[in-house]
Amino acid sequence: MRVVVADDIMLTREGIVRLLRDAGIDVVAQAEDAEALLREVRQARPDVAVVDIRMPPAHTDEGLVAAQAIRADHPEIGVLVLSQYVEPSYAIRLIQDHPERVGYLLKERVSDIATVVDALRRIVDGETVIDPTIVARLLGRRRRVDPLAGLTDREREVLGLVAEGMSNRAIAARLFVTERTVEAHVTQILLKLGLAESPDQHRRVLAVLTFLRT
Amino acid sequence: MPRVSASWARLARLAVVPIGLAIAVGAFLIARGPGMITTYAGRSWLATGLTVAAGLALMLAGLLASRASRPGPAGDLALLAALVWFAPVWVGWQFGPPLVRSLAMVAAGFVFALLFHLVLVFPGGRRPSAGARALAGAVYLEAALATLGLALFRAPSRDPTCWVNCRDNVFLVRSLPALTRTIEATDRWFTAAAAAVLLAVCAWRLLARRGPARVVLLSVALPAMIFAAASIARAIALHWVPLEDPGTPALLLIFEVQTAAVILLAVGLARDGATALAHRRRVARIVASLGAAPAPGSLKSALARALGDPELSIAYWLSAAQRYVNAQGHPVAEPAAAPGRLVTALVQQDTRVAAVSHAATLPELERELGPSIRLGLENERLQAEVLFQLGELRASRARIVETGDAERRRLERNLHDGAQQRLLALSYDIGLAHASADAESDDRARLLLEQALADVQAGLGELRELAHGIYPAILTEAGLGPALATLADSASIPVELDDTVQGRYPEVVETAAYLMVAEAIEDASGRGAGYAAVTAAHRDGRLTVTVEDDGQGRTSPMTEIADRVGALGGILAVEPTWMGVEIPCG
Repeated sequence: MRVVVADDIMLTREGIVRLLRDAGIDVVAQAEDAEALLREVRQARPDVAVVDIRMPPAHTDEGLVAAQAIRADHPEIGVLVLSQYVEPSYAIRLIQDHPERVGYLLKERVSDIATVVDALRRIVDGETVIDPTIVARLLGRRRRVDPLAGLTDREREVLGLVAEGMSNRAIAARLFVTERTVEAHVTQILLKLGLAESPDQHRRVLAVLTFLRT
Repeated sequence: MPRVSASWARLARLAVVPIGLAIAVGAFLIARGPGMITTYAGRSWLATGLTVAAGLALMLAGLLASRASRPGPAGDLALLAALVWFAPVWVGWQFGPPLVRSLAMVAAGFVFALLFHLVLVFPGGRRPSAGARALAGAVYLEAALATLGLALFRAPSRDPTCWVNCRDNVFLVRSLPALTRTIEATDRWFTAAAAAVLLAVCAWRLLARRGPARVVLLSVALPAMIFAAASIARAIALHWVPLEDPGTPALLLIFEVQTAAVILLAVGLARDGATALAHRRRVARIVASLGAAPAPGSLKSALARALGDPELSIAYWLSAAQRYVNAQGHPVAEPAAAPGRLVTALVQQDTRVAAVSHAATLPELERELGPSIRLGLENERLQAEVLFQLGELRASRARIVETGDAERRRLERNLHDGAQQRLLALSYDIGLAHASADAESDDRARLLLEQALADVQAGLGELRELAHGIYPAILTEAGLGPALATLADSASIPVELDDTVQGRYPEVVETAAYLMVAEAIEDASGRGAGYAAVTAAHRDGRLTVTVEDDGQGRTSPMTEIADRVGALGGILAVEPTWMGVEIPCG
């Protein structure tokens, strides 16, 4: 798998690169800012661009803007955004326009190399990846009238995995149940939450995240 | 003018009225009376009318100018000129006592000099220049010399060019016909030269002024120029016709023009005096109309209305801050004189109070302002000083808040770019070590590294929460709405947000609103609230944020938030379970 890594802080960037290379991933280029990233992506045509969210010049959301540009210009190239912020609004913004082939992970997640490799693979397969910490925060959000109160524990677990961007098959594998069972759970959850069933699994992620935020 | 006491001067001015009227009536009777017609005034009804009208107009102008306390001697000069104006008629009083005729002859010699001086000192204002004073002095001196010479050495009965008083001169010492002829010719040409100078001075002054100041000057300068031109014409005419016979049509015409010019001149002076009087009356009424606690700036608008000068402005001097401010306390530039506009500095007990920029038509503004206005000005200056200090204080509070915010942001960025990155790099190294221990099936190392990784990640999590607490990066990056949403995500009680706040506001406003909501939620949670409802709306340049909860009544006055919001010129309202801020945001 070929990736481009963009992060303005060398210490972190090289740490990420070392980890990825150790896991056998081909890091074809590195970039220090959004402009260099877009250039490298055009030239190297990687499978995935791994992008830090806060980059020069303003150190705000340049990485997010670059990620959206890559998704718009190169539909075949995936983007994994790495961030130090548990910010659901960033994750939602990232998947809003192009919900497939994108991911939002906290930077410390990278130290668990298996998780990163798995996320990159899922992105290459066209899936969506949302950091479990973000999903956990949204699920744990205090509500006056909790719509999740009517869910069973298993249904809550499935909802979390759906929000993380997992496909039914992946959820089935994770929970050691059949895909049919997962489908039944999902139908039940959507019914209880009053959400329309979508044939598109990426749209499903966006719908669930947005629902959890309100 | 001699320095007599003010009450004597006032008495003298009052006495001028009956005396002047008597002289005028006398002149009328002489002009229209029996006997040979030896004066211009007696030549026709028109000439009589013009002569009497000119004298009376001068008297009126003098009275008005004196009443209006117009600076300079213009008023007294006009009164004196009015009395002397009729002297040439009295010279022709055929049946009158010789002494009267002789005295009248002496007085008549000063008519031109007085009118010359009068025009020169108008429109009063600043001290007349040394040049102007020297000029007037020279004209007076020449008139005195010529009159003295004629009074002492001219024997009318032996004068072949005698026309009006050919009988008596009670002051005669010795008849010197040759000398008196020379004096007469010299006087004629000197007068013509002085008239030419007057013409030039008036023209120059008119060119030097603009706008309303020129209009005011025009009402006097134009008649003066006609008068001067007629005086020159008279000298030239007398050069060709040595015998001055009032019956000569050209001479009579010159006289009529000259007299009409004097009437216009007097009307111009009178109008100026009347305007000044009206201004003074209106200015005097201002203080009464302002009431007990006038709003800042009301003095300026009242003064502008009273003086008919909408552009009038007052700048107050603050000696402590060494700068000018307006009535609202905002710093303004030092007022500067401009074409048509003057700046009058008002000084009280040797200290500068204010500078007033006003139309040049009111050259002596300071004298128009009575003691009560001065008190009002001093009052408003003090008010302006307080407002200015208030503004400085407010700006300083805002700066303190902004500096604090900037410091928080800097701290958050330092954590993000420093400690957090180092810990991340460490966690990556541990991850690598873990992978290699895994590959080598070193279970002990693997377990230790797993523990280390968990510790580092916990540390990273805590550091992230700390950084977010110091300053939420999302506030800078995405604004108040998303930052409040994040706040609601992790709040310890349910937080309901209405999603009306979308736009971006000044950083300092967003920070204040965010911290207010964060504080209010924490406070609500501490009082056992089951939820908090947050609204945020932007209306009329103000951001309004409210937080309501269902906890027990709050007792804290929320001073920290009040201080922060107050520093931005906003207000905080605190009720037991409700709290709202309103912050101006441009």
